[in-house]
Amino acid sequence: MAAPSRVELVRIIFDILRTQLLSVGSEFTEQSSLVDAGLDSLAVTQLLLAIEEATGVWVDESLLTPENLASAESLAACVYELQRRAS
Amino acid sequence: MSSWQSAAPIPLTGADCFLRAFDAEARRRNGASHLSQLVLRLGRGFELARFCDLVTQVSRANPLLRAPIRRPFGLLPPVYDTPRARFDAAPPVWVHESSSPRSERVPQVFFDRLNATQDLRRGELLRFDIVRYGGGAEGTDFAMTWAHLLFDGSGSEHFIEWLAACHRGERMPEDLSPAEGAGIASVTEGRGAAPPRGPRAQGLKARAYQARMAGFAARPPRSLAGPLRRTPQALCYEVETYGPEETSRSVERATQQAGFLTPVLFYLAAVIRAHHAVFRMRGLSAESYVVPVVANLRPKGARGAIFRSHVSMLWFQVFPEQVEDFATLLGILKDQRLARIREGFIENGAAAMNFARWAPSRLYARMAERILKGELASFFFAYTGDFLPGLAQFVGAEIRNGFHAAGVMASPGSAALLSLRDGRLNVGHVRQQDVFSAAELSAFRTQLHRDLLGVDGGR
Repeated sequence: MAAPSRVELVRIIFDILRTQLLSVGSEFTEQSSLVDAGLDSLAVTQLLLAIEEATGVWVDESLLTPENLASAESLAACVYELQRRAS
Repeated sequence: MSSWQSAAPIPLTGADCFLRAFDAEARRRNGASHLSQLVLRLGRGFELARFCDLVTQVSRANPLLRAPIRRPFGLLPPVYDTPRARFDAAPPVWVHESSSPRSERVPQVFFDRLNATQDLRRGELLRFDIVRYGGGAEGTDFAMTWAHLLFDGSGSEHFIEWLAACHRGERMPEDLSPAEGAGIASVTEGRGAAPPRGPRAQGLKARAYQARMAGFAARPPRSLAGPLRRTPQALCYEVETYGPEETSRSVERATQQAGFLTPVLFYLAAVIRAHHAVFRMRGLSAESYVVPVVANLRPKGARGAIFRSHVSMLWFQVFPEQVEDFATLLGILKDQRLARIREGFIENGAAAMNFARWAPSRLYARMAERILKGELASFFFAYTGDFLPGLAQFVGAEIRNGFHAAGVMASPGSAALLSLRDGRLNVGHVRQQDVFSAAELSAFRTQLHRDLLGVDGGR
């Protein structure tokens, strides 16, 4: 199976957040702040596990910087970079 | 009247039943209830009469605040029996006029309150103590003390925020929506760490939880107070408030070493090592440190539920040889956290606590006691992050500081509660009065200070 593109990663992460982890409405977008949307220590770990399950990429917790958690888009960029380095 | 305020009794959550079991055990062994407390250190201007009026209105509009807790027919899971809540039984507000000057010390009456009993079966769930200095002209200390299951830590802060909003006229006492009130079950199910549906799936998860707990018994914990015993509860606590520079140093270390969203493990590591320092001073070995850390099960991003406990537990176990080096300990805690979340420990805990709703409270406490060989835990610990962020005033007075305190049974006899208020770290240490000698307390604080700030030597 081909590794997901950056755009696909954004969609995967956004869907996990919206349908499994966060209780958010239509105002939540791929650019929304994850912390402001309620992402906490437990949810972020569950997010990492869900990303690993969906993509096979494990994001080390040391990479969970405010910049990488700014939005679904920025987190997808981080995952994409990890995926690219691994391939 | 909101739908949740209808005549139907409101079931306790699984976590509520866990805490109810603690309450029964604390009353039986130590003659005190299992209570929690939120303290506000206020400036001038607290509107006492308005506050008393507000409490009466809130209580009349929300029967859960004065509802007896009972087990229907003596068998079914316990409920808040709202239909039997006495209309005139508002939570008491005790006013204490202090003749002594205000100091950093927490008023003795707040400790006394934690050592008192509140009868859940009579709906004695909540009370307030107001200590006024110079008739209020020099400020006021405020304590809200509640049966631990009425609110969890987050819920208690939401309640204070909601009272403040009522005072400002932005909310009405009868305005509590179901999401803020008791009707949250539908929101927590099927999302994040909520328990699975179906009794068989829940049973398997509860069994997995019990098996994990039983694994701790291979090297059982030992608390500084020793195993559970019958002794009158005599708690006290103090709160050390770090200055802005020390706080920012500690927060920076926590973020760098434990992660942007998981600083809790940094604080837990520091508190484990502070207890370890006292064991070492006594020339004893703890065999292991076993500590529960609360995991908040509220739906992320939703308006916060106020009443009942919406939590599960993550348990950690480390051994004395893993505690000597801070970085090693922190690494082990991080690995355990990830492994336990991966294996579904939080969901398993929620399922186990849901089963506990059916068990007699004493049976549940005995099971916990047997698994951990007479100890409940090495100590209790909580890091609750920012305390009432965004709330600068409460009922007319500036909030100068604020923090949580909680009762801790005679065993383990020690609890550390940390939080941040306005860029200052509050380190609360609740303890049974005879558990620490003066020298041990000093060693505890010095070690904690060293690890929080990364410096050698105490203050």
